[in-house]
Amino acid sequence: MTKPIYVYAVAMFLVAACSSSAQQANHADLQQTPKGSNVNPDAGLVADFKKRVDDYVKLRQKAEAAAPADLQEKSKPAEINAAEKNMAQKVRDARPAAKPGDIFTPATQAMFRRLLKPPLTKGPGAADNKAIMKDDSPAPREVPFKVNAEYPKEVPLSTVPPDVLLSLPTLPEDVQYRFAGKHLLLFDAKANIIVDYMLNAIP
Amino acid sequence: MRTLQLRLTVLAFASTLAIGVAAQDLTLPNKPKDTLKFAVIGDSGTGDSNQYRLAKVFTDLYARFPYEFVLMMGDNMYGGESTRDFQKKFEIPYKPVLDKNIKFYASLGNHDSPNQKMYKLFNMNGENYYTFRPKAGIRFFALDSNYMDRTQLQWLEKELAASGSDWKIMYFHHPIYSSGGTHGSDTALRDQLEPLFLKYGVDVVLTGHEHFYERLKPQKGIHYFISGGAGKVRKGDVGGEFTEKAFDSGYHFMIFEVDGDKMHFQAISDLAKTVDSGVIERRRVDDKAAPSVPAAPPVKPVPPQDKPNTTTAKPAAPGSSAPAAAPPATAKPTTKPQ
Repeated sequence: MTKPIYVYAVAMFLVAACSSSAQQANHADLQQTPKGSNVNPDAGLVADFKKRVDDYVKLRQKAEAAAPADLQEKSKPAEINAAEKNMAQKVRDARPAAKPGDIFTPATQAMFRRLLKPPLTKGPGAADNKAIMKDDSPAPREVPFKVNAEYPKEVPLSTVPPDVLLSLPTLPEDVQYRFAGKHLLLFDAKANIIVDYMLNAIP
Repeated sequence: MRTLQLRLTVLAFASTLAIGVAAQDLTLPNKPKDTLKFAVIGDSGTGDSNQYRLAKVFTDLYARFPYEFVLMMGDNMYGGESTRDFQKKFEIPYKPVLDKNIKFYASLGNHDSPNQKMYKLFNMNGENYYTFRPKAGIRFFALDSNYMDRTQLQWLEKELAASGSDWKIMYFHHPIYSSGGTHGSDTALRDQLEPLFLKYGVDVVLTGHEHFYERLKPQKGIHYFISGGAGKVRKGDVGGEFTEKAFDSGYHFMIFEVDGDKMHFQAISDLAKTVDSGVIERRRVDDKAAPSVPAAPPVKPVPPQDKPNTTTAKPAAPGSSAPAAAPPATAKPTTKPQ
């Protein structure tokens, strides 16, 4: 009653195929979560965040190019303020449907909370960083939590400690991270508007 | 009409008196040429009578000590930033020297909108941070300490590396060393900036934010001044381990004169009294080329002084009356790292 040799051959082929498939599956897993490697596990989220910010900057540049807001060095503050408001309006017109979370998506919000934790909770500088944030940060009630809203001139902008800035994804010129209480703002310093915000970003 | 004339006479007399006192107390060489003279104001932009009173002393002094430009330590504009605000908090109080085409070079404080960089009279050339060299061998760097990101740090290192053996004078809003009780040293900023200052041989660092005057004991060979009392004063807030000389019982500004390898400084109050003065000698190029990182000077309490106008320890309680006149106090900080 010996089995024909082809039965053994088929069995071996199946075992080999399963093994290969398993290896491929493991390899795919490794690519997604490169444990123990030097790959930044947040790389995908950072790239997504940066793309959204870049898209915003392109939108603003396009709006500027269409009708220059003429925001350049001037002797008269009224002209600077007018140019700034003009630019802010162009941005609003270019993104009328913008809403909270367009740039700080739920996935990137989780990443930001994670990235903000070490400089504010760990190490010898954490207490100082937190004190600086508290010292200069405006109270949340002073800032309008509204996308495309103007940042009030009479309210000081928070100082952001270098440690905190260095722990976050870099931003293009004139787009900045600022805080109001525990909340993180994405601030367009050129147009003086709030591009997006996320609540309770700081632990 | 007679009342107005009387007021003008009184004002003129008071003005003459102020000039006279300031002239008497002027401790800088005030050479007619070959030196660089400049002034410093910090946290000035309140638009209130205190700013105006100090501005009067400041602008009157120009007749005796013609400073070539003015550095602003930030908080140039508290509150709103309308045309009226710029007039009230800057253009009117400093009009006498603005009319003489004296340039103001601003840095940004936490109360300043970033778009102040577009205001021509602040000479920021549309940049949050910048450098300029008003005279051969002397370079200034204005930083934005509100937002010290990677881009700015890289820019600073590049500029410092290219600055050769010039005097290197930094100015920005937040002090990285301070004896202030309200704010104190910004150690996070210090962690980023101090290594660059040491590596490239920065000589002097001027800041504001704290509403008082403080000359600190040299830290690792670098001379630090806090001058944040041109519009606000926080009495009873200064004095501690870093203090070499302090003043927080009145408003103040500073004047400097760079004469070769010497930098003379003087801090003057709203009563036109000298609250501190001295001379800094530049570190030798050899010292800069091979920067060492020696320990800070030993911490020791600063004894209280009997000169009411020059505070080194916690001064008079808030609400105390203006100090009486005091003779100019001179100091010669050492040239070598301590």
